[in-house]
Amino acid sequence: MDHNQGLVPLSIMRSGQRGRIITLNVGRGQARRLMEMGLLPGEIVDILSNSAGPIIIRVRDVTLALGRNIASRIWIEAM
Amino acid sequence: MAKILAALAGTPNVGKSTLFNRITGGDVHVANWPGVTLQRAEGKTVHHGIEINIVDLPGTYSLSARDIGERVARDFIVRKKPDVLVVVVDATSLKKSLYFAVMALELYTRVVIALNMIDAADKRGIHIDVDGMEAKLGVPIVPISALKGIGIGVLLDRTLDVAQGIKTRKELLKVNYNGLEPYIYKIEKILKNENALNHYPRIWTAIRLFEGDEVIVEELREEKPELLPKIEALKEKARLELGEDLGRLAISSRYSFIDDITKSSVIEVRLAAPSFSEKLDRLMLHPLLGPIISAFVILITFFLIFAINTGFPLNLLLEYAGYKELASLVEEYSLSGILGSAFDLLSSGIKAWMTSIGYSGWTVGLLADGIIDSLGTLISFVPLLLLAYIFLGAMQDSGLFPRAAVSFDSLFRKFGLSGKAFFPAALGMGCSVAAVTSTRAMDDDRERRVTAMTSPLIPCQARLLVLLTIASAVSSDPLSQSALTIFIYVLSFILYLLTSNLLNKLVFKIEYAPDLLMELPPYHRPSLRVVWWYARSNTEHFLRKAGLLILGLGIVTWFLLNFGSLGYLSGDIANSFAAYIGNILSPITSLIGLPDWRYALAFEVGFVAKEGLLITFSSVTGVSDPVEALRVIGLTPLKGVSMALAMSYYVPCMATVAALITELRVGRYVLLTILMELMIAFVLAATAYWTGLMLGFT
Ligand SMILES: Nc1nc2c(ncn2[C@@H]2O[C@H](COP(=O)(O)OP(=O)(O)OP(=O)(O)O)[C@@H](O)[C@H]2O)c(=O)[nH]1
Repeated sequence: MDHNQGLVPLSIMRSGQRGRIITLNVGRGQARRLMEMGLLPGEIVDILSNSAGPIIIRVRDVTLALGRNIASRIWIEAM
Repeated sequence: MAKILAALAGTPNVGKSTLFNRITGGDVHVANWPGVTLQRAEGKTVHHGIEINIVDLPGTYSLSARDIGERVARDFIVRKKPDVLVVVVDATSLKKSLYFAVMALELYTRVVIALNMIDAADKRGIHIDVDGMEAKLGVPIVPISALKGIGIGVLLDRTLDVAQGIKTRKELLKVNYNGLEPYIYKIEKILKNENALNHYPRIWTAIRLFEGDEVIVEELREEKPELLPKIEALKEKARLELGEDLGRLAISSRYSFIDDITKSSVIEVRLAAPSFSEKLDRLMLHPLLGPIISAFVILITFFLIFAINTGFPLNLLLEYAGYKELASLVEEYSLSGILGSAFDLLSSGIKAWMTSIGYSGWTVGLLADGIIDSLGTLISFVPLLLLAYIFLGAMQDSGLFPRAAVSFDSLFRKFGLSGKAFFPAALGMGCSVAAVTSTRAMDDDRERRVTAMTSPLIPCQARLLVLLTIASAVSSDPLSQSALTIFIYVLSFILYLLTSNLLNKLVFKIEYAPDLLMELPPYHRPSLRVVWWYARSNTEHFLRKAGLLILGLGIVTWFLLNFGSLGYLSGDIANSFAAYIGNILSPITSLIGLPDWRYALAFEVGFVAKEGLLITFSSVTGVSDPVEALRVIGLTPLKGVSMALAMSYYVPCMATVAALITELRVGRYVLLTILMELMIAFVLAATAYWTGLMLGFT
């Protein structure tokens, strides 16, 4: 199965877009931390702002600021 | 009186501190958790004749023991077995904050859930079927508003119920782990047969082992290492059968359980987008405007703090406008003015009284000047510290600070820091002690250390005062005065970033700044209660920890200033040990153009507190106006620049050193910090001085 089909990293999503988290391409500890904060595969994320700095998203009723490095490892299916 | 022990727990930002403060009425004891720089608050209240002791556990997203906070919270629950665990959740974001509650219920049965922010939920049209939720979770759930004081009595009623065993769960909560159960029971059985890890609930331990909990694995390795291979084999089997990472399976199972609850028990009538918040965020999070607005807000705030504390710059403005008397009134009735006169009165009163009952010489001096004045120095830190903490509290509480951290992140990243390094830098402009202690909020341990070491480079308000005096002594032109001041500040921020970068690379070997990962809570008006409580408890905490140290150093300094080889000197400072040290140091200070033991002496005294620098010049020249005193001693503009540089960047004060000792906890790092500051001060001042000489200045 080609994992990357139709998937984009969260970091290239634009403000106002919405997507579904598919995979977290980070180390195990980091992945669990992200999941416990609500960034779980299957969840829907709204991108509130994405310009130069950290990306701002809303997931599970919470607004989060994510560094670009983490954001580039979270793969999203745009909706 | 009967006593019970309750612990407060929950995710960050759910209003735990507010509730704690509400229940205890602010009568709390703040200390550190043993062995870690993590604040522990404890307080009590009496309800229906029963004393409830409450411990505020660190706010964490889960109980996985992945960081210090989670570990401290979990250990407390498991080992101290509180009579009741009060789990605070946020009614406006249950989908998220219930995660902690579920984890808590899997670990502990005596739980009450405080459904906080019910006022905000009502406003946003969120209806919650509390009875339905209670039925699903099996513990009392009490809607409250910690901010408005709604529902607190009922919460305490239920807390007492649970402590007495009424309405508690009989057994731990079971989440549907989608096929993992047979394996969980197998491990449970192994643990039971082998009598291993008995201090934890067994099922819970089994689940944690599947999730790869390192603390539990480590404990098992110590207790019964022979079980590990068996458990690993079971895990491998489960992974193969279920075809999924087990950690992810466990976490997503908990979230499905939560989704079931929120689907049936929470109704959102209208999707109330907090539009004000969104509009403000568009400004605050703008890559260019964001940092500018944040910086502006902070400058204005410090302007206000400074005016309250010292009268400056309000007094100068009034003076320019021709209201000389009003200006001196403002100065006199500023906080530090009032405190200063109070201690002068006390000290001269004691002197007079002691002389009248027949004491004389150094005993009077020690008590009146040494001890009382050091106490005065200690107390004089209080307004600044308190104001800086009020400022920090208000910025945090309003939601502005996290946004500022986001907007500065890109810039700071270039220097190996994350946007969070903005907090200590901003606070440093108020008080370096507050800056150093604020580094606790960083979640990356190395970044915390680095910023604690470098944030004292940013001139605090005491240094600003000295800086302004130097500027006025060497020039009467307001333009060049402000140019010097601004130059020192801009340079300090550059130094902050550069030295942090260097320390990162050379000492801590960090390649990249930790990636930002933080919650942005909604904006709102800061609550006075919360902010005041925060500021007061932090200030008290610092005074208790560093007070003795400061007092001791103050007395040593008094001794050095008042004793010489001839014994007690009664005021003849030129023959004191301090002057002697000054003489030894003066070859060094002469390299920065200040070739006189009096400068060296002033720098010594400036270590106690920066204002001491000015007082020294006044007492060695006999001229009370510090600006005049500096002129008498012969400060040229070039020497002024050199002195300003040296003064601004060398060790801020002994209180900061005390804070560094308590926060860094490693003597080597404290020494390194002091050496680094001395070196930066010396090199910059010397460079400025010698360049100036070559350009023809004197
Ligand atoms: N509307 C509303 N706001 C609340 C209530 N309780 C707390 N808040 C606000 O929510 C914010 C977070 O409250 P804190 O008490 O600092 O939260 P905490 O859980 O202690 O968070 P940490 O200190 O980060 O662990 C504060 O700005 C409070 O003013 C409430 O009942 N209603």
